[in-house]
Amino acid sequence: MNTPRKSKTPNAGRRLTGFQLRRNSKFQVRVFISGIILAALMVWARGATVLGADLAAEFDSANKLYEQGKFREAASAYEKIVRSGPVSSALYFNLGNAFYKCGAVGRAIAAYRQAERLAPRDPDLRANLQFVRNQIQGPSVVPNRWQRWLGRLTVNEWTVLASIVFWLWLLSLVLGQLRPAFRPPLRSFRVCSGAGAAALCLCLSAALLTRSAPTAIVIARDVAVRNGPLDESQTAFTVHDGAELTVLDHKEGWLQVSAGDQPRGWLKREQVLVWPSGTPGHSRNGGV
Amino acid sequence: MRKLRLQLGSPGRGQGRRRFRFDSGFWGLLACVFPLTLSAATFTANLDRNPITLGESATLSLTFEGGTPAQDPTLPAIPNLQITYIGPSSRFSVINGQVSSSVTYNYTVVPGQAGDFIIPSITAAVSGQKLATQPLRLTVLKPGTTGAGVGSAEGQLALLRLLLPKKELYVGETVEAQLELLVNEKVQGAHDFQPAAIPAEGFNLGKLLQGQQRRVQAGSAVFALNPWAFTLAPVKNGSLSVGPITASLVVELPSARRRRDPLWDPFGLLNPPEQRTLSLATEAQSVQVLPLPPEGAPPDFNGAIGDYSLTVTAGPTNVAVGDPITVKIQVAGSGTLDSLALPNQPAWHNFKIYPATSKTETSDALGTRGVKIFEEVVVPQTADITELPPLSFSYFDVGRKSYRTLTGPPIPLAVRPGGVAAVPVIAAGNRGAPENQPPTQDIVPIKQRLGEIGQIAPPLVQQPWFLTLQGAPVLAWLGTVVWRKRNDKLAHNPRLRRRRQVVRLVRAGQADLRRYAAENNSDQFFATLFRLLQEQLGERLDVPASAITEAVIEEHLRPGDVPERTLSGLHDLFQACNLARYAPIKTSQALAAFIPQIETVLRELEEAKR
Repeated sequence: MNTPRKSKTPNAGRRLTGFQLRRNSKFQVRVFISGIILAALMVWARGATVLGADLAAEFDSANKLYEQGKFREAASAYEKIVRSGPVSSALYFNLGNAFYKCGAVGRAIAAYRQAERLAPRDPDLRANLQFVRNQIQGPSVVPNRWQRWLGRLTVNEWTVLASIVFWLWLLSLVLGQLRPAFRPPLRSFRVCSGAGAAALCLCLSAALLTRSAPTAIVIARDVAVRNGPLDESQTAFTVHDGAELTVLDHKEGWLQVSAGDQPRGWLKREQVLVWPSGTPGHSRNGGV
Repeated sequence: MRKLRLQLGSPGRGQGRRRFRFDSGFWGLLACVFPLTLSAATFTANLDRNPITLGESATLSLTFEGGTPAQDPTLPAIPNLQITYIGPSSRFSVINGQVSSSVTYNYTVVPGQAGDFIIPSITAAVSGQKLATQPLRLTVLKPGTTGAGVGSAEGQLALLRLLLPKKELYVGETVEAQLELLVNEKVQGAHDFQPAAIPAEGFNLGKLLQGQQRRVQAGSAVFALNPWAFTLAPVKNGSLSVGPITASLVVELPSARRRRDPLWDPFGLLNPPEQRTLSLATEAQSVQVLPLPPEGAPPDFNGAIGDYSLTVTAGPTNVAVGDPITVKIQVAGSGTLDSLALPNQPAWHNFKIYPATSKTETSDALGTRGVKIFEEVVVPQTADITELPPLSFSYFDVGRKSYRTLTGPPIPLAVRPGGVAAVPVIAAGNRGAPENQPPTQDIVPIKQRLGEIGQIAPPLVQQPWFLTLQGAPVLAWLGTVVWRKRNDKLAHNPRLRRRRQVVRLVRAGQADLRRYAAENNSDQFFATLFRLLQEQLGERLDVPASAITEAVIEEHLRPGDVPERTLSGLHDLFQACNLARYAPIKTSQALAAFIPQIETVLRELEEAKR
């Protein structure tokens, strides 16, 4: 029986079989897709470089306004950069400084807290936030020691840390299955990594809860916290610009807030910035 | 629903005077040892409960902190109020080198009639300094006027009552209410006291604080009285009500079946006490809440309600224009101290005023009495200033039912022309700044580099791709677990292992047969075929492959359920193998013609095996 002899090179004899044609077209498609991806990456990298250069120029001009003592104009310039999309902790830090120099303590705290989400261990940022918080008069919620400890890492850092330890723990389990002889020497590592993964997951949950708890930052000079969500309600206590309050409830343009052990009360939504944004009482009058 | 701890037993008594002399000397000696770290002495007076019902007693405590009096304090005689000295108690602590000590003189106060009593200011000399307490008001209620009185409780095992000091309150006024649980001493034990949430619509409620247990008598019955105090502050006017407060309590009563035999049952194990769950409830108390009168409200009134006194000091008083002066304002008294705020001072228009810092030091557990200390930095703007104008603070005095304005003294200043204005030092950071750090003067300057830029995105843990990725190691682990189980199962089942080996061998052998047929290799072809038949039949019959010959067809396969067609095919294949030894087949086509038959027989054998 005569069987067709297979050629060792696909193009030998210049006559391509159906199989060779299919393989060749697949190769061309792969080259085409790779080319598109490469081109897209180059465009993105170029765009990012141009964007970074534009942002840096705008940032420098805002810094210049600040150094000239034009704090209000500097704050507007920083806010414009923030609204354009990409942000950095330095941008929010400088925005907080500009607000503080304008006398807008509450907005400064909101900007510093935004920067804190990006760079929680920045000593300059911590110093400024502490400094500004120390000047707030009247009731205000201050993070306790546990919350401060959790705040030393960002949520993403907690996530990555917990994920690494979780993967290491499962890796030790997989190794134990693949090579049973590894089980005894890996026992202590397995126990420690398992406990570590559980503890880190708890820390991650606590960090998420802490950061997602809505806080109202007062941005008006003196705000009367009333006993009910009505203008006619009696004033329960007064809070001042920069006070940070826990948001408990919201109703028709009013927020129910509490300042730690203080009695609860209601204040108008436009007098505060709600942190983090996106929570039910989030203010639309923006700023940061 | 909360679960409160309940202790039954006799309340302790105070120590004698002799012990107190020793204690006073001891604390005095310690005060000499740590003279530098002791703070200024204070003298306060407190009642452990207020109001009380006629027939009950209260404990008056006179507390000296940071020093001991040269002489025991003397109390004035008050008509219809019998005050008896019980004894002293003292406390001493050293925390981080900070020494604090206090001596408390305790007195029993027994009223002779219902009504309001004022215990006037009591003075005492401590280290050459004359100190005075705030006057105290004690309200004595008639039995049965608020809730169930003790007198009506004689036959009951336990009862709950709610005591309010006043029936008429102002909006924002804070009063101390008492919840009292009385347990008859016939009860052997009481536990699991679980009060429900206090129904008090229109009020802000404080935390429940348990007081000291004491004994009260009603007729021939004696009760253990467990008090809880809490604060009430109405937030709206009108007729409001507090209660009824409901609670459950488990009591243990002596067994009613028979008396305990001291010989055979010395510990009462055979006659355990009978447990009974009681449902208790107070009566609802109605309160008339009045709005603050609009007439007479001072312009600087900012909502402070209570009874306060004011002290203002400032320093330094000899400064240059632009130098900071720290003004220390102490507002002491009773009321909602935490929410006190300083009003604006229009008279201070020649000063630049920085936001004040404040701290609150309460002298009672409920936080309604104490002192709030403000520190405000002011900077004189001109050299014409000769004094710091008097500071005014207004509040509504609920006792007098009128507004009052407290005014501090004008503080003389010497202000000289200065150069560049100095940035004020924040005198008292009240929010946990590290103590050893020098006070910060200004914020850290701006950053000159933009740093790493990025978009604000949801955290990784909320992104689906990241969560999906975390499933990868879990799947890997589950895969290895399944793989390990299969391997273990195979290792403990040699028949299964052989079956799989034969399947692999047959699959490889069929490929070899095709190759040998193509190469026209008759010897190898039939040798392989014979080996495959041996392996397949040996595995099926569970005998060694080398023991398989054509004879097994008749001996083992025919009696079994193997189809005749398969047996016939097998027979032909064995015959072909035997023939090939003597007369090898010369063409590859003839060899290839065997392959379909071989595959059919092997497949049928495989299927027959199942």
